[in-house]
Amino acid sequence: MALETFKAGTSLTMGVELELQLVNPTDFDLTPAAGDMLDLLARKPFPGDVKPEITESMIEVSTDVHTRHDELLTQLRHIRDVLVVAGDRLNVGLCGGGTHPFQHWSERRIFSKPRFNELSVLYGYLAKQFTVFGQHVHIGCASANEGLYLLHALNRYLPHFIALSASSPFSQGADTLFDSARLNSVFAFPLSGRAPFLLDWAEFEGAYFTKMEKTGVVKSMKDFYWDIRPKPEYGTIELRVCDTPLTVERAAALAAYLQALCHMLLERNDPPPREDDYLVYNYNRFQACRFGLDGFLVHPQTNETLSLREDILATLRRLAPHAAALGGGAALDELQNVAAGAGNHASLLRRTYANEQSPLAMVDAAMLHFRKTAAP
Amino acid sequence: MPESLLTMLAPIAWPAAIALAWIAGEIAYRWASLPRISSYGIAGFAMAASQGGFLGDPSGEPVAQMANFAFTLILFELGYRVNWGWLWHNQWLGVISVIEATGTFVAVFLVALMFSVPQTPALLLAALAMSTSPAAVLRVANDTRSAGQVTERVVHLTAFNSILAVIAFKVVLGYWVLESAGNIYQAIWHSLVVLMVSGGIGTLFGLAVPALLRLTRNADRNATVAFAVAALLLTALTHALNFSPLLAALTFGMVARHHRVGLSQAQRNFGALGDLLTVLLFVFVAASLEWRHVTEGIWLAMAVIAARLVVKATTTTLLARLSGIGWRKGWLTGLALTPMSVFVVLLLEQTRHLHAGMLDNVAGIAAIAMLLEIIGPIVTQSALMLAGETHHKEVI
Repeated sequence: MALETFKAGTSLTMGVELELQLVNPTDFDLTPAAGDMLDLLARKPFPGDVKPEITESMIEVSTDVHTRHDELLTQLRHIRDVLVVAGDRLNVGLCGGGTHPFQHWSERRIFSKPRFNELSVLYGYLAKQFTVFGQHVHIGCASANEGLYLLHALNRYLPHFIALSASSPFSQGADTLFDSARLNSVFAFPLSGRAPFLLDWAEFEGAYFTKMEKTGVVKSMKDFYWDIRPKPEYGTIELRVCDTPLTVERAAALAAYLQALCHMLLERNDPPPREDDYLVYNYNRFQACRFGLDGFLVHPQTNETLSLREDILATLRRLAPHAAALGGGAALDELQNVAAGAGNHASLLRRTYANEQSPLAMVDAAMLHFRKTAAP
Repeated sequence: MPESLLTMLAPIAWPAAIALAWIAGEIAYRWASLPRISSYGIAGFAMAASQGGFLGDPSGEPVAQMANFAFTLILFELGYRVNWGWLWHNQWLGVISVIEATGTFVAVFLVALMFSVPQTPALLLAALAMSTSPAAVLRVANDTRSAGQVTERVVHLTAFNSILAVIAFKVVLGYWVLESAGNIYQAIWHSLVVLMVSGGIGTLFGLAVPALLRLTRNADRNATVAFAVAALLLTALTHALNFSPLLAALTFGMVARHHRVGLSQAQRNFGALGDLLTVLLFVFVAASLEWRHVTEGIWLAMAVIAARLVVKATTTTLLARLSGIGWRKGWLTGLALTPMSVFVVLLLEQTRHLHAGMLDNVAGIAAIAMLLEIIGPIVTQSALMLAGETHHKEVI
């Protein structure tokens, strides 16, 4: 299958996909409820899209295409409410969070669907280990080359999204000391990491994708698990490093942050991306996963060491006029609050654990945060 | 065999029976995928003295106390898994529960009358038939690592119909006492007071144990042992005071659940302790039954089992869609509610102080208990497998 044509659309539209946890409210462990939930949800029109994920304890929802933060948030809240009502009817709890704190991967069941079964055969235990929950944000691009430009220009800001969204401090029953342990599960896949440094779509197609396809390693873009990947059939680039936050409000804010950032990058006032930017890429990404907002990153072009928190706050200030132009001011206020003091959801979960000394309490708190409308 | 040798062997009868039943369970599970508890029942029945085996009538013996403890653990876990909030969000579940339980009561009462059973035993039989055996349901669900709507609903409906059955049973018992002794105070004591105090004791345990764990900062680790120790104490206490250990244990679990002191998944069934006690429990129950009584009531038993199945499965099927699942899962839920033996036998065992030999007197109950001890778990296991909710072997 050749690479699909890049369906160029409107710049800076956005859409969000959220992978959510399905939890048994008795033992707070994951529960294989995707089939029952999907059956019930199929009875009425769903405000967006809902589909299964690789294991039966996951469900993925996605929004329509939006241009404004408030409209995106309204739809996410609507989706959340429909899910919560369905979950209540079936005694199934829903929550965000990049990992479930104490589930055991071997207990998971692969959702029976040809693609998932193939992945399970190919990847062995990695498939079940992939019971982690991410947020994907799509940004619409006016052309394929604009998409590739944004994809690489974002490399320096990628740790922001990891640190702000991080909500997976625990894995398999223990504190990992990471803020986002989820991404470690993603890195285990052979085609994870970053896209090759190509800024021209024809070159990307001819010099990279077609060659890869000939090797037999990949069949479509779906086989790449890159941090940011082009999605030609949607005409978007897709940011995939965020943990699913505990609230839909945070999810919408992250999308609006990305939108504003792309708005600024398209003015092309930043120095253009270079292959050498990626020398510090993995290090910066590790810092953000491990230390969250307390991490440090190396600026890829000045080699300056920056506090991640300070860098985010500085970026938020730069983005203010862009967010104002797009109607995303409220989203930036929320993230400003996170970076300046409140902390990300990983630290919220750790605080819950410290207070209650029980990993179950973290899941309970996550379920409560998901269902209530967070204060603006 | 000389008498002296028999006397010498008597103390090893129960350990030997448990060992044999366990081996039978493992073999039948490997070769025929038979639920282990069905094999324990068959083995226990075959080894009972009344069938020419070496196990004497266990009622009133110390082993009965152990069986009660085993059942307390199971009821605690059942109570722990009940989410009352679900009833609030899905009121059709409550409607299903009430209809299937009262419907069963009426249907079984009518069947019993048709078989010329006198009124009071017919009422007692009807009350007992409302219940589904928590022991069979939880063991099968846990052994097959089953999870999903059928499993959740069976667990909840079992808890609800067990409570309704105990209440109905105690009320009928009170009515009986009133009729035979004509003493209103004694009648009220045997129904209302016993019910309330048992629930009260359970509530007290449910509040005290998690508080203690929290105080010692052990909520995470030692919860299972702490709950087992508390269950042991609760069994002894309620038994000694002639209250209802069943109701107390259920309440204990229900109250404890709300304190987020978790029974981890690994500790389902109370781990190895629960596994061991389950063998004893199912052997005990089957050994309480006599072939004579089983054959006597066999036709009545089959009629009761059929009526019960029809009422339960019809209710869960007809109300399936209204309660949020499909017809098929609704029907499988009703099917999975078939087991009832352990609950019934222990309930009768625990009211021995009132009138010995009730197990013999409630016509048909021995036959029902025997048939369902073996068939019940098989039906439940098949229903959960057909619903696709059991853990099956995958690539990894």
